[in-house]
Amino acid sequence: MTQTTIGGTRKKVINALMMAGLIIVFIAYMFPFIMVIINSLKQKRDIIKSPFSWLFTIKGLSFDNFVKAFTQMDFLNAFKNSLIVTVSATVLVTLLAAMLAYYIVRHKNWISSVTFSLMVASMIIPFQAIMIPLVSIYGGTLNILNHRLTLIFMHTGFSMAMSVFMFHGFLNGNIPIALEEAAYIDGCTHSQTFFRIVFPLLKPIISTMVILNALAFWNDFLLPSLVLTDKKLLTLPLSTYSFYGTYSADYGTIMAGLLLCVIPILILYMVLQKQIINGVVAGAVK
Amino acid sequence: MKRKALARICLGLSLTLLSTSLTGCTFGFASDPDDPNEVVQEEPIDTSVDTFQYDTSLRGTSITLLNSKAEIQVALEKMSAEYESRSGVHVEVMPVTDGDSPYTKVVSLYNSGNPPTLSILDTTDVIALAEEKAADLTEEPWTEEAEGYLTEVNGKVYSFPLCIEGRGIIYNRTVIEETLGESFDPASITTLADFTGLLDRLVTAGMDRPLSLAKEDWSLGAHQLQYIYETYNGTSEGAQEVIEQVKAGELDLNAYPRVNEFLDAFDVLKKYNVSAKDPLGADYDEMAIDLADGKTAFWFNGNWAWPNLSEAGAENEDAYGFLPYFMNNDPNDFVNQKIQASPSKQIMLDGQMASEKEQAAAREFLNWIVYSEIGQQMLVKTCNIIPPFQNNPYEPSDPLSRDIYERVHNDEAFNASAIVPNDHWAVLGAAMQKYLADRSDRQELIDSIQAYWDEQE
Amino acid sequence: MKSKSNGKDFCTFALPGLFCFLAVVIVPFLYGVYLTLTDWNGVSRDKNFVGLKNFVGVIKDTQFWSSLLLTFRYVIFVVIIVNVIAFAIAWLLTRGIKGQNFFRAGFFTPNLIGGIVLGYIWQFVFSRVFVSIGDSTGWGAFEASWLSDPGKAFAALVIVSVWQLSGYMILIYVAGFMGLSEDVLEAASIDGASGFIKLKNIIMPLMMSSVTICLFLTLSRAFMVYDVNLSLTAGAPYGTTEMAAMHVYEKAFTSRQFGVGQAEALVLFIITACISGLQVYLTKKKEVEA
Repeated sequence: MTQTTIGGTRKKVINALMMAGLIIVFIAYMFPFIMVIINSLKQKRDIIKSPFSWLFTIKGLSFDNFVKAFTQMDFLNAFKNSLIVTVSATVLVTLLAAMLAYYIVRHKNWISSVTFSLMVASMIIPFQAIMIPLVSIYGGTLNILNHRLTLIFMHTGFSMAMSVFMFHGFLNGNIPIALEEAAYIDGCTHSQTFFRIVFPLLKPIISTMVILNALAFWNDFLLPSLVLTDKKLLTLPLSTYSFYGTYSADYGTIMAGLLLCVIPILILYMVLQKQIINGVVAGAVK
Repeated sequence: MKRKALARICLGLSLTLLSTSLTGCTFGFASDPDDPNEVVQEEPIDTSVDTFQYDTSLRGTSITLLNSKAEIQVALEKMSAEYESRSGVHVEVMPVTDGDSPYTKVVSLYNSGNPPTLSILDTTDVIALAEEKAADLTEEPWTEEAEGYLTEVNGKVYSFPLCIEGRGIIYNRTVIEETLGESFDPASITTLADFTGLLDRLVTAGMDRPLSLAKEDWSLGAHQLQYIYETYNGTSEGAQEVIEQVKAGELDLNAYPRVNEFLDAFDVLKKYNVSAKDPLGADYDEMAIDLADGKTAFWFNGNWAWPNLSEAGAENEDAYGFLPYFMNNDPNDFVNQKIQASPSKQIMLDGQMASEKEQAAAREFLNWIVYSEIGQQMLVKTCNIIPPFQNNPYEPSDPLSRDIYERVHNDEAFNASAIVPNDHWAVLGAAMQKYLADRSDRQELIDSIQAYWDEQE
Repeated sequence: MKSKSNGKDFCTFALPGLFCFLAVVIVPFLYGVYLTLTDWNGVSRDKNFVGLKNFVGVIKDTQFWSSLLLTFRYVIFVVIIVNVIAFAIAWLLTRGIKGQNFFRAGFFTPNLIGGIVLGYIWQFVFSRVFVSIGDSTGWGAFEASWLSDPGKAFAALVIVSVWQLSGYMILIYVAGFMGLSEDVLEAASIDGASGFIKLKNIIMPLMMSSVTICLFLTLSRAFMVYDVNLSLTAGAPYGTTEMAAMHVYEKAFTSRQFGVGQAEALVLFIITACISGLQVYLTKKKEVEA
């Protein structure tokens, strides 16, 4: 807002051009999502024969797909499962990763550097390479598969490296140590300093990480499919299995199911975006 | 402001969707009686007679069934519920989901120490796992009812043949008759030349390209290319023999007539392919619609294509059927008379981790499918499967399965399954795609088949 | 901090997170490394130690090396395009333009679509939309489905990956831009720094930590590409777009050479680790200078 008021006509033209460019790119980005919305209201034949046609020219536009997806997925139960897993794992990983990253940034010792290098390196491990060993250990040896807690624990472990990496970057660049030193002089313990001073300052990155992690947990398919087999425990993506056939798939229902799955995440994103902005404002006021 | 508005819209949308779903009402247009997308009516099951002897000591046992045939997931769940209500044995049907191959799923389940009691697998998977994991089923009574359809590993039976599937050139008789303005008798086409003639007449009558040809590697690499092994003499043993010879380098593929005959036939399909302009841009779902709508008259596929055709608007009473995969001009050659039909999915019983009781319950479930009046009906009517068991009196209802069923019973089908390594369809499917797109010639294709077999141990 | 409380600090701050990470990622990984030295096929009961035999299999697997080469090409395109686009969009979206929150929500949507739907929608675009554009305009490039030509199918993969990954990177760059303090920017404008100079001399150095993160993430994700590969092309046409991760998976489960597949995954890991290690080292150095 500060930018646009300064400068003459040349600036205005550049701004207009940039705006136009942005809108074009924006449409390209939104396009597949719009396609999903439109086609979720159509039936399979129309999806295949006329995927782009405007909704109301088509016979049989309806919310049938949503009703079918909702019932076949056992939506409410799956929603509950997904919610429990996603919320617990997100809270856990955000907290633990922020603490671990804080330790690494503020303690320059060998444990920190080894841990950090190990984490960075581990982000490159292809999941397929540890899939079978993982189930052998947790299923074959420990026999603790098929519990929500196991899934929460695994989600936390798998996203730890990436989250620590992100917190590490933010802590290094944006949190001045002077604040903490002041807190110590005031007699705060390390835990108090972290939770009262540092953690609130992490708001922008916490919001980003919450949305990224929650999204990953909410939509993940592969890991839950390895851990959970009991129908009562299935998460939302797992419960869409019946829409996929061997040779073809029930596209309308899949897209309706997808929308039902992502709406909570979209809402979360809207809410958190406000948080990101508030966080920055708070940072500027300090 | 905008953000708030958007958030509100989203919330509103989700609430609307939620409430719609909850109350189960439907917005939009009332459902049309001729709606091609309408769910196919299910055939009723007569449950009044049940003479099957249930073993009451198994009550309360719980077993799992891994299902890799996604289209019968719902049907299997119904079947297991019916079985549970009578036997007291709970059968949990676990699906193999998108992105997982059945083999990967079974491997990961064995590693997790929690393998399914029963698993529906492809024949190659059963052979790979049989001696290590499976229970011996050689002594089961149903083996006598499924003669000719059993898969043996070193003289023992480790799997239950679930269904017969057949493939060939699917025709839509009504469309052919309407286009040509005369009646069409599939039996009158007996050679590749006849078939080409028919295609030419359809083209003259205005149907530019009368045939659909899938580009998928499983279709090209397994369903098409495997004809070269299966048509050696039309038996599984013959297919095995020819594979051994190719592997050992004793049979020159260039000199083996079935290879060139197969490619002659494939060239015909290629020429009349509806998407000949861009054969690798063809869309599987669209092929079903094209055939049902009459844009094309033929589709190379198997009886598993029925759910797609039915979704595209085909009805059980419509005149669909199979033509053989014509490979030459000799009307007496069996390939021009018979279509290929063999058992495809197999059920394997875990003999490693499952308890005695679980195994007994699983065996009873298999027997129930074969011998009980209800199991027999559900296998055919609910699952829409062609049973390989002679004692099952029920006939499938959709025209494709019915055609296969009749041919199997009238000796117009040959049962040859080529047992090839698991990556055969993927590796050689790619080679076939290259040939289909005219990016390689016959010689290059034949060389890559030979190279593939040379690499096998 | 004082080293006296180091042990306690370690236990309260580092240990819980570290434990999760080690138990879920590192232990299975080490077990996986051990498996590459055995002849275990994924199902059998016994595992025999076979030394480096599986790695000999990796060297002999020419398909693997050509898929790796293709992956390199892909990574170069994706990393550059994703970061340029994401950086530019994130910059535009943090300048206080009208409706920027609406825009941000839009650029977020690629994150919401995954799996088979992603592949299906984009297949639509490349084989239907493009062809219908080609039919109406007569442009040669859109005549046939992009997915049936090896070069164009590769381009399609790059486009979809850019679309998907940049949605993610925009989020991170936006967080980075928001973290820049207004004082710095204001000070810069007062000094009279114009747009480009400001970007180069003031913003870029301050954004280097975000750049490091995004480069690293795009690099590792591009090397590991699997979902998009499988759902969009599955290697088609005729196996020309099969990337390394997909080949590894196919080797282990379709070709049933579990040991070789596992060993190839390890080789892929080592190569990616070296390259992204180098990248982090180089960009971190810039951060320090700034």
